Amino acid sequence: MKKRLWKTRAWKALGIVLMSITFLFLYTPIIVILTLSVNSSKRAYSFEQFTLQWYVDVFRDPSITGPIVNTISIAILSTIISTIVGTLFAIGIHSLQKKSRIRMMILNNVPVVNPDIVTGISLMIIFSLLSFTLGFTTVLFAHIFFSIPYVILNVMPRLKRLDPNMYEAALDLGCSRYEAMLKVILPNISTGIIAGGLMAFTMSIDDFVITYFTSGNEYMNVSTWLYAVLGRGQSFTPAAYAYNAMIFAITIAIILFINLKKEKKGKLA
Amino acid sequence: MKRLTRMQIPYRVWMFLFIVIPTLILFVLALTNMNLYQIGAFDLTLDHFAIFSKNEIGIAFWNSFFYSSITTLICFLIGYPVAYYLSTLPNKTRKILVSLMIVPLWSNMLLRIVAWEKVFTADSYFTDLTGISLNLIGTQTAVVIGLVAMYLPFMIFPIFSVLEKMDRSLHEASKDLGATDFQTFVRVTFPLSSSGVISGVIMTMLPAMTSFVLPARLGLGTISLIGNVIESKFMKEVLGSSGMSINEGAVLSLFIMVLSVAAFMMITRVDKEGETLI
Repeated sequence: MKKRLWKTRAWKALGIVLMSITFLFLYTPIIVILTLSVNSSKRAYSFEQFTLQWYVDVFRDPSITGPIVNTISIAILSTIISTIVGTLFAIGIHSLQKKSRIRMMILNNVPVVNPDIVTGISLMIIFSLLSFTLGFTTVLFAHIFFSIPYVILNVMPRLKRLDPNMYEAALDLGCSRYEAMLKVILPNISTGIIAGGLMAFTMSIDDFVITYFTSGNEYMNVSTWLYAVLGRGQSFTPAAYAYNAMIFAITIAIILFINLKKEKKGKLA
Repeated sequence: MKRLTRMQIPYRVWMFLFIVIPTLILFVLALTNMNLYQIGAFDLTLDHFAIFSKNEIGIAFWNSFFYSSITTLICFLIGYPVAYYLSTLPNKTRKILVSLMIVPLWSNMLLRIVAWEKVFTADSYFTDLTGISLNLIGTQTAVVIGLVAMYLPFMIFPIFSVLEKMDRSLHEASKDLGATDFQTFVRVTFPLSSSGVISGVIMTMLPAMTSFVLPARLGLGTISLIGNVIESKFMKEVLGSSGMSINEGAVLSLFIMVLSVAAFMMITRVDKEGETLI
């Protein structure tokens, strides 16, 4: 018995050590970014003085406000569109026969598994074939394209849990098809839709590779702007770190909010 | 329910436009001398495949294979125990830890790479901050650590989501039937988590293999992966002389596609509807 206890402890210790390494890997760059966002030195060779100047610059420095506006407007638009369209597609796919449903899900997962560089190049090729000028529209299309599969993957498990008779029952009870969808299906899959939307938003706001291949020379989001500046061997304004720190704060707030809300719900039930 | 099936028809058209057609064009570009930006008459040719004989391409392929394998192996060795440990924790702690693992992923990838650059440079900002002076920039170690840090969560999450759903009474049953802890793990737990492992390996290996910013920055431009070559063929060399660089890039992209199709077939075998992918 004693030996067994010792063994469990050893495994637990290993788990804790590896977990700590994981957090070290994940948070080292984050801490560097957060401290750089309040560091007055522009070249960032040393920590000079605490400042909040870069947080003001996020809204004022024209070299970064442009890319930020682009990033956020693409993220909002592509999230709204891909969430709505993806949900409808998911409902459609779910109602297929099992065999064709699986076939559609496999197709759906192609952009998820494909490396970003392949997706980016494929989109670039189709856009140039259709003679689109690379810019806002093509980036928006690209972001919608890679977001939809994630929305579908999030909505699908919820649909599977839904009783298939509910929709028919709503129709029998006099709902129109539109009403049945709005009042019966959507409320039941809303958590999946929200999760899918959140995922689409984060994928879009973070994207570099696909935007890089579909944006052309003029249109830049924060990532492609950083890449362009770094590529020229220049340094960028620390306002970029401040922007990132703000995103970081917002995401933590969202996570806290979701967890607290869940807890409240759990208590009521 | 029948009528609802109509709603997925536009998706078929959409996927055909954005997946099937570009793949076909990649094939055409790889096998002919068609110019993507001035499509006219074109002839079949195998000339573009000659790039496989170039020395630098061979090195890039080897690097891709080497770095992605090492990264995946380390991610698995760290990630599996972490996922396992997570799944044994009480509900609340587990949720907090998983959330804390997701949060860093929302930081900009390029800024994270820049931050690692500072960490690995001797007498840099990081030295000023922590007193630690590492001189790793430009080395294999720097690239491997950077890749592991970038892709480790993508190994942990799929494995964790499978382990979390696993029926714990199976462990007890296995032990009641006389298996030791080790036997229970090898013959019950691990086989049942294999779908998560396969997804994790693929979601780590393919992105690591095709990454191009991270190896270029942390390797100081001396370490070139296949992603760097593809980027250069599609984005940089196009402006230069030959004009056929896109076609050569298409050959390399098709090669990556073959790998991802193989990965795909493995995933579909264990997990038909891709539930372990998110």
